[in-house]
Amino acid sequence: MALTVGLGALAVLWLLPVVWVFVTSLKHTPDIIRVPPEWIPWPATLEHYVEVLFSSSRTARIGRAFINSIIVSIGTVALVVATSALAAYPLARMRFPGRNLVFILIIGSLMIPNAVVLVPQYVLVQQLGWLSTYQGLIVPEAAMTFAFGVFLLRQFFLLMPGELEDAARIDGANTWQVFSRIVLPLSQPVLAALSIFAFRSAWNDFLWPLIAVNKAEMFPLPVALALLRGAYSSESYGPIMAGAALSALPLLLVFLVANRRIVEGVRLSGLKG
Amino acid sequence: MRRGRRGGTVSRRSWLTAYLFLAPGLLLFAAFRLYPLLDGLRLSFTNARLGRPAQAFVGLANYERLLDDTRFHTSLYNTVFYTVASTLPILAIPLLLAVALNRGTMRTVLRGAFFFPFTLSVVTVGLTWLWLLDPVVGPFNYYLRALGGPARSWLADPTTAMWVIIVTTVWWVTGYYLVIYLAGLQDIPRDLYESAALDGAGAIRSFWAITLPLLRPVLLFVFVTHMIGSFQIFGQVFVLTQGGPGDATRTVVQHLYETAFQNFFHFGSASAMAWVLFAIILVFSVLQFRLLRGHTEY
Repeated sequence: MALTVGLGALAVLWLLPVVWVFVTSLKHTPDIIRVPPEWIPWPATLEHYVEVLFSSSRTARIGRAFINSIIVSIGTVALVVATSALAAYPLARMRFPGRNLVFILIIGSLMIPNAVVLVPQYVLVQQLGWLSTYQGLIVPEAAMTFAFGVFLLRQFFLLMPGELEDAARIDGANTWQVFSRIVLPLSQPVLAALSIFAFRSAWNDFLWPLIAVNKAEMFPLPVALALLRGAYSSESYGPIMAGAALSALPLLLVFLVANRRIVEGVRLSGLKG
Repeated sequence: MRRGRRGGTVSRRSWLTAYLFLAPGLLLFAAFRLYPLLDGLRLSFTNARLGRPAQAFVGLANYERLLDDTRFHTSLYNTVFYTVASTLPILAIPLLLAVALNRGTMRTVLRGAFFFPFTLSVVTVGLTWLWLLDPVVGPFNYYLRALGGPARSWLADPTTAMWVIIVTTVWWVTGYYLVIYLAGLQDIPRDLYESAALDGAGAIRSFWAITLPLLRPVLLFVFVTHMIGSFQIFGQVFVLTQGGPGDATRTVVQHLYETAFQNFFHFGSASAMAWVLFAIILVFSVLQFRLLRGHTEY
């Protein structure tokens, strides 16, 4: 009991920085810098949210950046899930020449630090004419998460009992039909875990969009936020904290709805890693 | 279950089908992972620059220049310092929390609270701590002063700036490693603890004799994952200090970023840095596997 109380107190302390961000974002500008710190934002206001979302002329608008981040993250999830499910299936369930080599190459690439491919990836994306485009963000993001997706889904496919596939096959289904009508529907939990993982990494990635985008209207949230900081630095934390809160919102919602699933995905990512 | 391993589609004639399934993924993987990796190695032997189409082979010149680049040395030193100094807290704090959570009640809720910061982007995390630690109106210094502590500008002081980055990172990633440790703890058979208790072992003795040795593979995973990540630290520094004060928190990836995309647009030199970093990470990984593997049999 004492242990739970102690841990509970620590957990509250752990969340205080986040609470402080939300509290600040709701305060009027003069109240923000009032000392001692006030933890209840009263009278509350949404003016900072309105400013960063729609009316700020100083920097990339957070509203636009929000939409960019949604497009890039959903595109990345779709590409990662599609390519890694298709690739993991034969790696888990078929025998063919080169299988081990392909698998070792993909898993070995998990050791490649992203920073190492930064410059050549920029050169490639530039040659393709993809700088400051959605595909220039989506495709490299997806390539970054692909190996992990293959690893995760292959683990899952390996443990799936084969009877259903055999039955479908006897009924005359071809490999594609078995995969799309039997295997994928049975894999929903792990596909959801991978989707959340891919969404989180695309939504939060900072370094790649920082260099791959040089038009303000194409910035995703983390880059736009980092610039917001410079634009408002000495005057007010209000708009910056409103931007920070907005960027935390989608994953907070996912987190509240699917806490279990996120944790499950992380757990799978760690085990046998 | 065992049938599942081999069951399903096992046919030698189906290899064409297999590669049709693999094709989109392999294309993505080859074009955006393998090719850039090798192209980066090639670039590191050239004088490539942003916007200069012609490149000449310059042999090891980029690597030789790194030997004289004192800012690179500083960033390398800072990166290693950060990695070493953050390793113990990042191994220990989530582990202690996991052991405590594993025994207590309300595990799901508490785990969720510690995990939440990990869902934030590095920029959001950086901005949060920037505001908390604001030297004039930030709450941290206010409460510290109220308790009689030494309030100061933590990020402007070269002796404390890197520690702020470490604390920030620990706050950010603890929840992730906590979840991994908790999963590892679940796999340890309960009766081991029961028989240890029968033999008169207390909680602390059980921790050293049972928990730690059986968690060795998980510890290795956390150790290696954290190391690979921390050698590439960039976002926290970019938001909190921009590498300052002076060059006190300048890191390798920041130096690489500035060399390639901010100051000199020198892709060859930046690629050489990337490969030096890659080599260091590989060496450390192999060392860690050597150090911790051998003992995983129990």
